[in-house]
Amino acid sequence: MTTPDARDERVPVTVLTGFLGSGKTTLLNRVLTENHGMRIAVIENEFGEVGIDDALVLDAEEEIFEMNNGCICCTVRGDLIRILGALMRRREQFDHILIETTGLADPAPVAQTFFMDDEIASQLRLDAIITLVDAAHVLQHLDEVKPEGVENEAVEQIAFADRVVLNKTDLVDEETVAEVETRIRAINAPVQILRAQHAQVDLRKVLDVGAFDLDRVLREDPSFLTETEHQHDTTVTSVGIDVDGELDEDRLNAWLGNLLRTKGVDIFRSKGILAIAGAPEQYVFQGVHMLLVGEFGRAWRESEPRRNRLVFIGRNLDRDELERGFTGCLATAGAAA
Amino acid sequence: MSLTVDSDLTVAWDITIDDAPVTLTARDDLVAVAGAEGTVKVLDAAMGAEMGALDLPGGALRTELAPDAGNLAVSGAMGYALWRRKDGHTTVRESGAWSAAAAWADHERVAVASGRRALVLDSGGTELWRTEPAASTVTDLAWMRQGRRLAVAAYGAVRCHERHTHKPVATYPYVGSHLALAVAPTGKWICSGNQDASIHIWRTRDGSELTMSGYPEKVSRLAFDDTGFWLAADGAPDVTVWDFSGKGPAGTAPRQLRCHETITALTWRPGPAGHLASGGHDGTVALWCATAGRPRTRLSPVRELDGHGSAVAALSWAGPHLLIAAWRDGRIRAYGVPSRTAL
Repeated sequence: MTTPDARDERVPVTVLTGFLGSGKTTLLNRVLTENHGMRIAVIENEFGEVGIDDALVLDAEEEIFEMNNGCICCTVRGDLIRILGALMRRREQFDHILIETTGLADPAPVAQTFFMDDEIASQLRLDAIITLVDAAHVLQHLDEVKPEGVENEAVEQIAFADRVVLNKTDLVDEETVAEVETRIRAINAPVQILRAQHAQVDLRKVLDVGAFDLDRVLREDPSFLTETEHQHDTTVTSVGIDVDGELDEDRLNAWLGNLLRTKGVDIFRSKGILAIAGAPEQYVFQGVHMLLVGEFGRAWRESEPRRNRLVFIGRNLDRDELERGFTGCLATAGAAA
Repeated sequence: MSLTVDSDLTVAWDITIDDAPVTLTARDDLVAVAGAEGTVKVLDAAMGAEMGALDLPGGALRTELAPDAGNLAVSGAMGYALWRRKDGHTTVRESGAWSAAAAWADHERVAVASGRRALVLDSGGTELWRTEPAASTVTDLAWMRQGRRLAVAAYGAVRCHERHTHKPVATYPYVGSHLALAVAPTGKWICSGNQDASIHIWRTRDGSELTMSGYPEKVSRLAFDDTGFWLAADGAPDVTVWDFSGKGPAGTAPRQLRCHETITALTWRPGPAGHLASGGHDGTVALWCATAGRPRTRLSPVRELDGHGSAVAALSWAGPHLLIAAWRDGRIRAYGVPSRTAL
């Protein structure tokens, strides 16, 4: 994996998800027409109502490919691999790429494409998954009972999001907005929610935000890990862990490896900033299902307590088991027992 | 007026096009180059003089000259185009469908990928027949049995089609996404380079299979030499060369050709000598005696041609004595390789 640093020259890619009617097209039109000075290429999966002269808009039909590597949830988007590949061969340069998925798309194969394909990973970086939510209709979508084995796409799209744009707040009362936010946080505790009307959201908060840059996420909202009080009867939840101390690298690798191998199907997203015993830098990781990338980030400051913060977002998560497993990786765990 | 590169290698010509080249083809006395924004130039192989030009909106992905260089096909992200040498007549089809590949069956018939189907056209662009849709967008094509059978690679299988029926006449299934297809000139083997960083091999006689896995990256370039005994592939910093003579490569190790960090082009020199040219992301072009030594040997290039930084976009031999190289920055250069037996 390429190590992102201050001079990361890879082109950032934003993934826009959300149900039909949530305002994706409105947001897309704003991105394409507003004078933000960025050269943006757009890949659309929804049939194009958007057509702007000086922007490059490409149509794609969703093609999901299994990877044949024994990892049952490792699927990638073949359409994106070929289109992004061709886009990067052009001589003109883009500052940003935006991928609009269909209302019913599963975000996992889209995100996994950026982990699984080296050609893409070397030239592009997944900047953020932005999910548009229709404040007036989302509760009904979240409550929809699906047949056994069928995913609730609304839940999934919220679970995968780095940012939620809570749109159409003018169509509902404050009480409903608050309830929707509570429901969103019950699924995805660390997500940043941006309220909007007519998809009017500051584009700087959705484009090139570095949401896959963990340090930034945790800096912006350091309290998310403790926000786990409001539990609803939803099977998709977040489990945040915040533990002081340093980790034994081998035990951590064994635990995390085993966890993702056995529970990776149910763990949609995982992120963390960890203190590894003997390492002067923070260890930062991001995962989508069974795939995980990690690297050493900035150095721990002298006065800074060595602390581990991580979050799992997924289905049927067992908080106690996760906490127990993780604290077992602390370098002091063996000695204390 | 040729410039000396090395003691016996010469630069026959050197031009620049106003696009980022993606694909090259050379047959007989013609060379064609096509770019990411759809610029297509047909050049005289000896001098590099422009013989024809066309434009394919949406950008080019593949270009192929017919064996007699009488016709050219260009396929691209939003359709395909044909050019006829005799009168310069051009047909451009903006179908909106992704056309990843084109392959000539003979002087007159060409197969063109079009979305999930392959179309077989005459040289004027009239459709002769089409395949049923594959499971995904078609990624590559190859003709078998002297142009009677068309092998089509897409997700989940290589399917072989013939004119008389819409259904495949043979299906070679594999769970995964095939990116590149190579059929041995002997007709004995069908090989696919795959997204899951493997090469999958079928013996056509009985459909028996073999997978070469463990490549660090996806395998998107595969090529048999003229004898059909050697297969070269990317998927790693080293070009791997597998021995397909006799019973095939099962249980053997490849030769490994070490020069590039990332391989961006590879092409066999016409003839039986086992000479290969490869290009890298760093812009270098390497020439190899790719079949020398023993299996598992790590070979060094016989020659390295410096590319001045820009990535190699494509390589093609215009006969055994002229190697054409295109770089991402638009430069096209032809190198004369005088000796038949040496590089």
